Amino acid sequence: MEQLGVLQRNEALAQGRYSVEVKHVSKSYGETEIYTDLHFQLLKGTFVALVGPIGSGKTTMLNMFAGLEKPTSGTIIVMGRDITKMSEDSLGEFRAGTIGLVPQVQTLIPELTVRENVELPLHFAKVDGESRRRKVDYVLEKVGVRGESNRIVSTLSVGEKQMVSFARAMVNDPPILLLDEPTEALDPLMAEVILGLLRGDNLTLGRTIFVTTHDRRVTELARKTIRVKKKIP
Amino acid sequence: MSRGASLQEGQLLARSLNVSKSTHLVVASLAAAVAANATAAIQLTGLMGEIALLFVIFVTLAVGTSAISTDIFARSGQTIANLRSIGASSRSLSNAVFFSVIGYGVGGSALGAGIGAALGLVLGGQGGALSAVLAVLCVILASSAAAVAGVYAGGRRTWSS
Repeated sequence: MEQLGVLQRNEALAQGRYSVEVKHVSKSYGETEIYTDLHFQLLKGTFVALVGPIGSGKTTMLNMFAGLEKPTSGTIIVMGRDITKMSEDSLGEFRAGTIGLVPQVQTLIPELTVRENVELPLHFAKVDGESRRRKVDYVLEKVGVRGESNRIVSTLSVGEKQMVSFARAMVNDPPILLLDEPTEALDPLMAEVILGLLRGDNLTLGRTIFVTTHDRRVTELARKTIRVKKKIP
Repeated sequence: MSRGASLQEGQLLARSLNVSKSTHLVVASLAAAVAANATAAIQLTGLMGEIALLFVIFVTLAVGTSAISTDIFARSGQTIANLRSIGASSRSLSNAVFFSVIGYGVGGSALGAGIGAALGLVLGGQGGALSAVLAVLCVILASSAAAVAGVYAGGRRTWSS
């Protein structure tokens, strides 16, 4: 099963050079301009850290890559598909198979258990029951919260919730992982686990990782750092 | 995807969207009330009257379930945004609401139609038991179709707004 995942990823990697292509993208909220004519590409399998002051639009960029926000103008191509032209439903299905997202604000469903939360993206990706169980067990073990799998999420600590968020983002083995300040709420030990996972996933699985951060440990791990200098007025 | 998987996903998402026992009760009682009245009345009228009554059942239950569906989605805006960020589509969310309430809708309809059939016979309905059974089947069919149409119309209205 895991071997099949690696084969599928290798096939995807061979299909094109870039995981994300940003073409003349501008983004503004009303009169406030966030980005003007951004133009760059992210190579498949790269690890990029986006750093900059609070309020400089880092999360906006991450959300645009995930298709959660549309640019005011321009095109964003993710794994060869123009996400700026997709309908909401197509975007949902595309995200289920392509993008793992760890947002800064917790988006777990508090009423569900750890296992149920982590299982949700697999339901959307139409993964069958036995594979779902195996994938969830594997990823919970990987982030060190398998022992908590039947706990209701609302009873977890902030750090534990963040680990569950990681597990949920990685459970379907997406080729792109987007993380917004991933180590902010973690104690040093948990942060080390996550940094190790990111390093390993990037090197051995060729997963593209795009992360916004203020954490020096994360930027040291990244192959490339993009700095957003300007704070939006 | 198998039906089993759909039901399991539906239940999981329904819990995420806080579809509660009160919602199930509203659906069941609404369906029972409409079905009871309609099944009794159908036995007391001619063909055109029966068609008109089935149409009324369809429209009223579709409007009711559409309102319930819209309300569920409107109450859970943040949860829906969270679910969409991990791959949910409007179809999967509408399916979730549908699968979580359809059992109660059909159950309520069946109960109401049974009561209505008995009432129709007592009130001197034309055609006897066969007509009563036919009325029950027609009412359950119209109610189920209305529930499907209502839930998906409610979802569609939410996504397009």
